[in-house]
Amino acid sequence: MNEHEQLVEWLPLYVTGRLNAADRQAVEHHLATCADCRAEVALWRAVATEIVAADQALSAPPDLAARALARLPTRAHRPARLRQALALLQAQAPLLRRELWPATALVFVLGYCVARMAGATQFIQAFAPLVAAASFSIIYGPEHDAAAELTLATPTSPWQILLARLTLVFGYDLLLALAASFGLMPLLPPAGLGALILSWLGPMAFLSALALVLSLWIGTENAITLTYGAWLVRWLATATPTPLSPLVSLTSLAGFFRLYERFWETPLLLLALAGLLLALALWLAGRMERSLPRWV
Amino acid sequence: MGAVELEWNDRVMLTPGNHDVDLIRRVAAGDGEALNALYAAYGQRLYAYALRLTGDPATAEDVVQESLVAAWQGAPRFRGTGRVLTWLLGIVHHKALNALRGALPLPEAPDEEADLPAETPAPDEVTAQREQRQWLRVGLAQLSPEHRAVLELIFYQGLSLKEAAEVCGCPVGTIKSRLNYAKTHLRGILSREGFAVEVIG
Repeated sequence: MNEHEQLVEWLPLYVTGRLNAADRQAVEHHLATCADCRAEVALWRAVATEIVAADQALSAPPDLAARALARLPTRAHRPARLRQALALLQAQAPLLRRELWPATALVFVLGYCVARMAGATQFIQAFAPLVAAASFSIIYGPEHDAAAELTLATPTSPWQILLARLTLVFGYDLLLALAASFGLMPLLPPAGLGALILSWLGPMAFLSALALVLSLWIGTENAITLTYGAWLVRWLATATPTPLSPLVSLTSLAGFFRLYERFWETPLLLLALAGLLLALALWLAGRMERSLPRWV
Repeated sequence: MGAVELEWNDRVMLTPGNHDVDLIRRVAAGDGEALNALYAAYGQRLYAYALRLTGDPATAEDVVQESLVAAWQGAPRFRGTGRVLTWLLGIVHHKALNALRGALPLPEAPDEEADLPAETPAPDEVTAQREQRQWLRVGLAQLSPEHRAVLELIFYQGLSLKEAAEVCGCPVGTIKSRLNYAKTHLRGILSREGFAVEVIG
């Protein structure tokens, strides 16, 4: 960029006196020799004079602040915390992507039907976490929030909003998965219901939390691919006891798969990890707000 | 034009940061008087900005009122990284563009253009200045709200390029290119009408 091009950018600020002394001197020095820039300063001065004159002729209505205050509930009358939390839940439900609710329910119904027809109760164990992970990857972030700009302009902090959405979506997924499990009771051995629920609850909590963190971090598509991959490998492991490639040593691969399967069958560990991931997601949501453009 | 420069300097000085941040803190704590004080300090500028963007006094009033409500609600989250003025203008900017999105298109500027004499018969200097200003007004009205916003922020509100970018929520480069576009447009109108801008400088 030559001197002229650089200085041209400064001319509006030269006119408004926002340049520092050194820059102003550079501009003045250049103006002495550059007729184009002198003409440009003249144009900006004319624009400035017009704008300032028009704006100074205005008078703002004196009572706008009073009118704004009249529209506000005073902070003293704020709803109690519980009512506020309920109001937040209620307010967030319509902001989530609308297709989320029927799509989730539909997949659960289909899964339930397949499990019934095949007489295979573990089917529900395989897909409940997948559905939950998918729904969690689309609950937060500008790409999913029709009202993202408003969300950022409200006094409710982003992590409260995220927590409200988590509660809604996880509650919904949980109810559907429980309903499907109860529906499968006739196929279960006596007292098998608890085991069935535990078998999907841990992975569901962990995978959803993982999907949420990944979606905040690297986007929804990647989050779904990675979590689905992680989960499907577990079933691959059960389905193919033979090694995928003759080059891979049989014992180490089988050992890894056994460990991997054990991981998914330890509900307490999974729930604890899910808790950690959720904390991370809430922290990320708080930080994300800072990196987003504020009003766009 | 030294007088104009002085005025900007005065207005830039007029914002002692700490006092403003105190006001925001009081607003955050629910002090209605503090909101009134904030409006007393900045109301004129906020209203002028809203009017420049929307072009309609009633809409501008609504926009400022909504912005004050948003400022009241958003005050607890004011981070104090920039000036209070920039923060408030950012809210007004957002609300004004929203209002424009929902509103019917404004009456077109060419109507105004039709009222002006098509031929200017050898005017004296004062008449020439007045007419140049009229054409500038026409030119400004023809610009998009985003372009008018940048001119307003730089020339009336006296912001730096960086602050203007903060208000508009766009990169500094966008502010520069909008200034450039506005310049070309206004210069085009004036030279088409036979004004040499040097005359007024």
